[in-house]
Amino acid sequence: MIRVQQDDFDVQALYKQLLKKNDTGAVAMFVGLVRQFADQPNETCSFELEHYPGMTEHNLQEIVDDAQRRWPLLDVCVVHRVGRLSVDDQIVFVGVSASHRAEAFQACDFIMDYLKSRAAFWKKETQGECSQWVDAKQGDALSLERWSQ
Amino acid sequence: MSKVKVVFFASLKEAVGLSEYLVELDLPISVGELRQYLVDHLDKGGALLGPGVQSSVDFEFTRDTDIIAINTREVAFFPPVTGG
Repeated sequence: MIRVQQDDFDVQALYKQLLKKNDTGAVAMFVGLVRQFADQPNETCSFELEHYPGMTEHNLQEIVDDAQRRWPLLDVCVVHRVGRLSVDDQIVFVGVSASHRAEAFQACDFIMDYLKSRAAFWKKETQGECSQWVDAKQGDALSLERWSQ
Repeated sequence: MSKVKVVFFASLKEAVGLSEYLVELDLPISVGELRQYLVDHLDKGGALLGPGVQSSVDFEFTRDTDIIAINTREVAFFPPVTGG
């Protein structure tokens, strides 16, 4: 399941969706949240998340399909929020169920790495009165390289 | 001539001052040729030459050497993605 939405998500409900009766041996989940910027501890921080409707969902589906070709997975769930988000809000959920933990952990890690660099989302951060678009991190691109080795 | 919708996102949308632009072109051409066309025809098209500006054709990430085929519906230009 892939969803791009403004609304918050319920981790417990998503976890239950990943469970496949009798077959599930492992579920790996990642939740990304908005945190207070360390250099502005007293400022109000928020994000505005923009996406490209149609392309974003297409990107996420390709990433999930790729993960399912690499590992034997039972189910995958990706939920990414868009719109205005504040400190402590949930941004993204990636959940993977499998028979064994190794493929669940690896596939979850793989999907997050690719989501950061190959899915059409853009963050604009606001600290107090100042807003600016977030630059892509070089480390995110480097994280992809380990999956091609 | 074919009509192609070009869309812009995030900081590039602000820099160009447009969210979308309809062009009539003799296709096929490369993404790089369309980029140069937009640089030449949009008031603030120079932003398309900014560092790291990426592109897609019908939702697939592309490079400047990729071809925009005759049946293309939409081309996008945008800064590097920052989701997650």
